[in-house]
Amino acid sequence: MFARAGVFAQSAVLALVGGGAGGIVAAGVFAFLVIIGVFPRLIGKTRTRARIRLYETLIILGGVWGNVSDIYEFPLLWGGNVLLGTFGLAVGIFVGCLVMSLAETVKTLPVISHSIHLAVGLQYLILAIAAGKLTGALLYFARDMGA
Amino acid sequence: MVYLNLREMSEVCDRTVFLKDVADVYCKNQAVQNRCRALKILNVPQGGECNIILSAAEVIRGLEALDPSVEVSNIGKSEFVVAYRPPQPPRLWWQWLKTIFVCIVCFCGAAFAIMTFNNDVNVNDVFREVYLLITGRESDGFTILELSYSIGLAVGILLFFNHFAGWKLNTDPTPLEVEMRLYEENIAKTLIQDSERKEREVDVR
Repeated sequence: MFARAGVFAQSAVLALVGGGAGGIVAAGVFAFLVIIGVFPRLIGKTRTRARIRLYETLIILGGVWGNVSDIYEFPLLWGGNVLLGTFGLAVGIFVGCLVMSLAETVKTLPVISHSIHLAVGLQYLILAIAAGKLTGALLYFARDMGA
Repeated sequence: MVYLNLREMSEVCDRTVFLKDVADVYCKNQAVQNRCRALKILNVPQGGECNIILSAAEVIRGLEALDPSVEVSNIGKSEFVVAYRPPQPPRLWWQWLKTIFVCIVCFCGAAFAIMTFNNDVNVNDVFREVYLLITGRESDGFTILELSYSIGLAVGILLFFNHFAGWKLNTDPTPLEVEMRLYEENIAKTLIQDSERKEREVDVR
């Protein structure tokens, strides 16, 4: 009798811890994603602000699916290389926007171009950053630096 | 007395821009109000889409030239952007293609962000630890903790975005809508400041 009550209490505490952790993590991670300005830029560039609610719904679904499949590791078993390629490309675009947004938030480019009196060629600087990121990513995977 | 409320940024599809396209105009005298609203303020030069920055002073000058007896009170912006976008046939498939593209990036990006976060902070190991702390038993990795975390995360995201599909918690704009407005405001502000600098030929060096 008491043992069962004890297990129940433990489960309740665990559920509370898990639920609270999930709620706070969601708030933190998704507030970060929205504030950093990747999505507004994508929406602005494509001029599709009328569908902002749809995008938010997709972000919600993506977050929930990503979390569940990460924790429970349930296999999808379809789609193959096409799905993997789409996912990789989309994630690549997203991370590309994200890292530049991060650099932009701390005002790297304006500070550098200001302090070296850069007057022309900002577009080549940006191209060089993109090329450097591509090289870095390829090197990272080719040399297996994550291991 | 004519009250003029200039909007910071207005999109037009016509090369001839009238005051009513970029501002709200109010005057007690209906006839004066209509005449002011029909004031031509700009002819967009030939070419594709462009942004033109005008100042309220030019508009007020135009209004006073139109009718010297009016007194203009500007309650809107002192500088504003007219964004000319050539009229296009509505290419629905292209719109939807772009929408699908952004949808895929949003979905995968959100999924990727939460996966990398979980891996970064090693949620699984932390949960094992917490499980051991509270129950004194080893966790098999699929406990109530993981389940409640997943549910809590979903609830947290829904609360944060404050809607799902058609269903909404309250009438506040959603976080992404707020961010989108800020982004557009920044664009307009930058355009206006850029044009001011070009005119004065001063730039940070």
